[in-house]
Amino acid sequence: MLKFEGRGKTVTCGGVTRRDFLQVGTLGAIGLSLPHYLAAQAAGAIEPDKQDRSCIMIFNLGAPSQLDTFDMKPEAPAEVRGPFKPIATKVPGLQISEILPKHAALADKFSLVRSVQHGGAAVHDAGWQIMQTGRLFSGGVNTPHVGSAVGYLRGRKTDLPPFVVLPELMGRGGGNLPNGQAGGFLGKGHDPFSLNANPAQANFQVPDLLPPQAIDTVRLDRRRKIRDLVDQTADRFEASENAALLDSNFEAAFRLMTSPQARNAFNLSKEPQQVRERYGMNRFGQCCLLARRLIENGVRFVTINTFLTVFDEITWDIHGSKPFTSIEGMKNIVAPMYDQGYSALIEDLDQRGLLDSTLVCNLAEFGRTPRVNPAGGRDHWPQCFTVYFAGGGIQGGRVVGASDPVGAVPAERPVGPPEVVATIYRSLGFDLETKLPGPAGRPFPLVDYGHHDIHELF
Amino acid sequence: MRSLLLLCLFAFIVPSAAASEGVQLFPSEFVLDSSESRQRLLLQEFDGAEIGGQLRDEIQWASSNPDVAAVINGMVRPVGNGKATITATTAGRTATAKVTVGKLDEPLEFTFSEHLVPLLAKQGCNTGACHGAVAGKGGFRLSLRGYDPQSDYFNIVKQDRGRRIELADPGRSLLLAKPSGGIAHKGGLRFEPGSLDYKIIAQWITAGAKPPSDHDPRVEALEILPPRSSQKVGDQQQFVVMARYDNGDRRDVTRWVIWSSSNEAVGRVDEENGEATVVGPGEGAIVAWFDSHITLARLTVPFVQSKELSEQPIDRREPRNFIDEHVDRHLARLNLPASGNCSDGEFIRRAYVDTIGCLPTAEEVTQFLEDPAPDKRDRLIDALLARPEYVDYWTYKWSDILMLNGRLLRPQAIQAYYKWIHGHVEQNTPWDEFVSEILTATGSSHENGATNFYALHQTPEEMVENSSQAFLGLSIGCAKCHNHPLEKWTNDQYYAAANMFSRVKAKGWGGEPRNGNGLRTLYTASSGELVQPRTGKPQQPAPLDGEPIAFDDPGDRRGPFAQAITSPENPYFARAIANRVWANYYGVGLIESVDDLRTSNPASNEELLGAAAQFVVDSKFDLKPLMREILRSNAYQRTSRPLPGNKTEERFYSRYYPRRMMAEVLHDAIVKVTDVPTKFDFVEFDGADRQKTDFYPLGTRAIELYDSAVENYFLRSFGRNPRGIVCECERSSQPTMVQALHISNGNTINEKLKAPDSRVMKLLADRKEGLCDDALLDRIFLTSLARYPSDQERTQLAGLLPAPGAEEERIVLEDIFWGVMSSREFLFNH
Repeated sequence: MLKFEGRGKTVTCGGVTRRDFLQVGTLGAIGLSLPHYLAAQAAGAIEPDKQDRSCIMIFNLGAPSQLDTFDMKPEAPAEVRGPFKPIATKVPGLQISEILPKHAALADKFSLVRSVQHGGAAVHDAGWQIMQTGRLFSGGVNTPHVGSAVGYLRGRKTDLPPFVVLPELMGRGGGNLPNGQAGGFLGKGHDPFSLNANPAQANFQVPDLLPPQAIDTVRLDRRRKIRDLVDQTADRFEASENAALLDSNFEAAFRLMTSPQARNAFNLSKEPQQVRERYGMNRFGQCCLLARRLIENGVRFVTINTFLTVFDEITWDIHGSKPFTSIEGMKNIVAPMYDQGYSALIEDLDQRGLLDSTLVCNLAEFGRTPRVNPAGGRDHWPQCFTVYFAGGGIQGGRVVGASDPVGAVPAERPVGPPEVVATIYRSLGFDLETKLPGPAGRPFPLVDYGHHDIHELF
Repeated sequence: MRSLLLLCLFAFIVPSAAASEGVQLFPSEFVLDSSESRQRLLLQEFDGAEIGGQLRDEIQWASSNPDVAAVINGMVRPVGNGKATITATTAGRTATAKVTVGKLDEPLEFTFSEHLVPLLAKQGCNTGACHGAVAGKGGFRLSLRGYDPQSDYFNIVKQDRGRRIELADPGRSLLLAKPSGGIAHKGGLRFEPGSLDYKIIAQWITAGAKPPSDHDPRVEALEILPPRSSQKVGDQQQFVVMARYDNGDRRDVTRWVIWSSSNEAVGRVDEENGEATVVGPGEGAIVAWFDSHITLARLTVPFVQSKELSEQPIDRREPRNFIDEHVDRHLARLNLPASGNCSDGEFIRRAYVDTIGCLPTAEEVTQFLEDPAPDKRDRLIDALLARPEYVDYWTYKWSDILMLNGRLLRPQAIQAYYKWIHGHVEQNTPWDEFVSEILTATGSSHENGATNFYALHQTPEEMVENSSQAFLGLSIGCAKCHNHPLEKWTNDQYYAAANMFSRVKAKGWGGEPRNGNGLRTLYTASSGELVQPRTGKPQQPAPLDGEPIAFDDPGDRRGPFAQAITSPENPYFARAIANRVWANYYGVGLIESVDDLRTSNPASNEELLGAAAQFVVDSKFDLKPLMREILRSNAYQRTSRPLPGNKTEERFYSRYYPRRMMAEVLHDAIVKVTDVPTKFDFVEFDGADRQKTDFYPLGTRAIELYDSAVENYFLRSFGRNPRGIVCECERSSQPTMVQALHISNGNTINEKLKAPDSRVMKLLADRKEGLCDDALLDRIFLTSLARYPSDQERTQLAGLLPAPGAEEERIVLEDIFWGVMSSREFLFNH
């Protein structure tokens, strides 16, 4: 029942129940998965040398101002250039904002794309959706998050799930639209595993990961035995794939609960205090650190939401007035935290030899208005903004595309969300024409036809 | 209309010429009307009733008149005007076909819409990956799969100062030189100079590159040969497609057909030439698309059994009703054994869960098990169909399709919508009336809850798409921008149907889900049209496949729309609802998924679905009689225990397929077993935003909730339908790891077991009063699993229980409950 498509193959997926696609890697127990996986590989859907690559997507909820971070316009009038000064970076000729000094020191590791734009509405939810999936949702076609598609196509590598969101799924954006952080038409089985906890908290734990205090190992063991006893009695499930999946989920859950590797992966207290502090003792910093631990332990895709929502929180959403953030709030709170967490992550991955096999991409829903508003902030601006990539085969120190003199529109090399998403897929070794089963069996390529990755980055 | 369709289907199964020697030629009669015409003939096994595999080797072909027609390897070519008979002989068996050759003396003429458009589609020129993309390719754009010949003609002949066509020297036309390798072409070599496709284009240019005209013959229907056949794994089968045109012509268009398979596990088809390979047992279909028309050929491939069916413990009960007759016949055709009768315990639990969405109580189970009457199952079925929980359960099911979602509607409106549905399910309103009332609803959203359908879908496009999806199982959204590439729906049909809703208007609440009272008054205006963007003019309103309505007709257009949709003649309406009901009980729809009734997604048992739909029509759209027949059928009452011979099949009802209970039913089952209800007091929006609700007093079951946005971690993680779109497919019954973690460590089961007034506590109290361990275990097992514990379970579990009053007693009992409730047998309906 699984179908894969690779290069040069066109297949319609009629008749496939889209909700019930089984994850490839979880199905060792069922036995059906491996041949499909191999078939996909044979069909060219997967480049073997890149299939163990992972990705950390840092999603900057609120949307940073391109003009105050990576696309400074020191020559522009004051109301455009804003209060901050550019500083030199490790890459000759490349300047970024003074509020990101640690980024400047490792600018040879990442490459900027300064000409991203999208045609979605200038509301947070629309941008979240289009930037994480490559498509605006319409007519009930909810494209899966890149991480869900990766999980669908490759399955899990170890005890840990293939796609994890830290610290929790995106919250309210004001538009009441789906935010794209889900399995979409691939089904709930491909939703990310969401941590739902703050790893910076003193007694941080994964919810439901560990049994309640009252249930000790004696009880855990007794419970399993009783479950096995009852399961033995009913012999009618041997042909049921979902029953097998349930069993494998219980096994996976039990493994996660009990496996030293999985417990260890989530156990931040194993990190030396100076490492934890290097990342920053805050939610974002500890998420970056946890992301590294998860990648090391076999998670294929981690998305870190820099913030949970744009309301009542100091974020990148610098409208200048309450309940949003002021430009000083960004300078004093957001930027230092972000700069520290990101730089620690990149340095750490690099030192551990993981950067080549781990793509780190920093995305946002849009940029901000070129002109500073009366409240001293900047508003939403999908017409031009900057995203950046590091690791995973990306050559650092480059700048792709450019904006016009006020950062309002791309002056050269406009890049849309499909190109951004395509770049992630390419780094992970996927053929962009690999088909996913959409609603009513309609096949969807990973990226719509005619869109390519940002090849200048590789 | 349906009966007509069926008639057509059967007309092909029994060919006109008699099958004298167990073989038959397809087609048995045909015309060749130009020097380029060709007809491929297929020699098939045929026993007078069923078509078998294709005979491919060692066939002697002969023409009775070589001056009229010549035949080589089954391909017939015209030689001169006249009539001839083609004979195929193999191993002493012969079959014949009649050919008429004509018009050879007339000049060859190829037209744009009849010849060029299908050719460009077959060559892939107008696909989404090439020039059919919205933005075109390399500056040259064609309509997707040729749905708009007028604009294609303009772009080929006129656009860019006509640079693509050289009338004086056709070979230098870009339209020819690029795809045939004369000039570099990013799309590569599509056809060779000298090929028939090259000749057609060249000839058309030579003749002046004439535009499409209204007089060009149009395809009326496609025939595929053989339309239905029984094949064996490993068989090869060539398919032939005949197009029938409105001028009476009928010709072989196989070479320009675009092929696909509906079930690649049964048959695969060569996209180039329509040659299929049978790869596995089951039911499959080969789908043929030509010139915006679609048809399919069905393949039945019997399973191979290691033991003869006569030696297997097969279910040999006499058919109970029409369902069994069809299922049994199909199983025989597929060489599948059927599992036997289920136990009474299996039956009562299954029938409760499927019919009223809850578990039977221990008392109900024992009463049923002890009832010696032979008709006790039939009586239980009738009792269940009359229970109040039946109303709650089916109201909830319809609420999924009708999108009762607090993230989209305000609470008062949701409540009115829910009560409207609940009232109709309670009165058992016939389905056609129910749907008609929704489609034609007017008035206040607080008083007539049905109008909220239009509060959810506020544009004519959404209205037509979602009513087709909900009530016909058809997704017509593709046709909004271009002819549906996989279906017959055209862009014009889409706008004609959408225009049926162009006069629906409303005053009041606009759609902001977080604010307002949701009060909205719906009415229809007497004027107003929806513009078809392609033409810039309104399309004349017409239901899908229905009679057009005059522009100046002042009546509510939704009336005729509702009539057309709910008509017994509508080929989708009765099938869609019969299939939804079917899928509820058997777990697998005759068509899967139930939201997807496209032609290219055929039923696993077409005759059965036709009969079930007809049964619904005959019952005047009262759905309970169908449910009763389903519940009474042997097919429903089979055990879920597989036999060696039917383990691998999951479409033909040879056994009952176990499935995880739906989120709400499972939740309510946990409540029932633990005897601790859940509080539902918030409606949640995206993010941390939530609003208090006082609709649900303590004790409300999950299946009684109005609204999919009621906050509950269990329901969310167990895949309730979020009701964001009109689709049962949004619901997931797939077990996930989050669910396993939640059952193991989460607060639903664990907290309920720990609660001071849980069933654990009650049993402990009873044990103190002298309840023996056997009876205690009986109570747990009957409540949860509708059976008594096995001897092994009894011994081992009793062995775990400490003495009454011991410190460990409570937690051991909790663990026993947990072990039972985390088992497959509890979580699944089986």
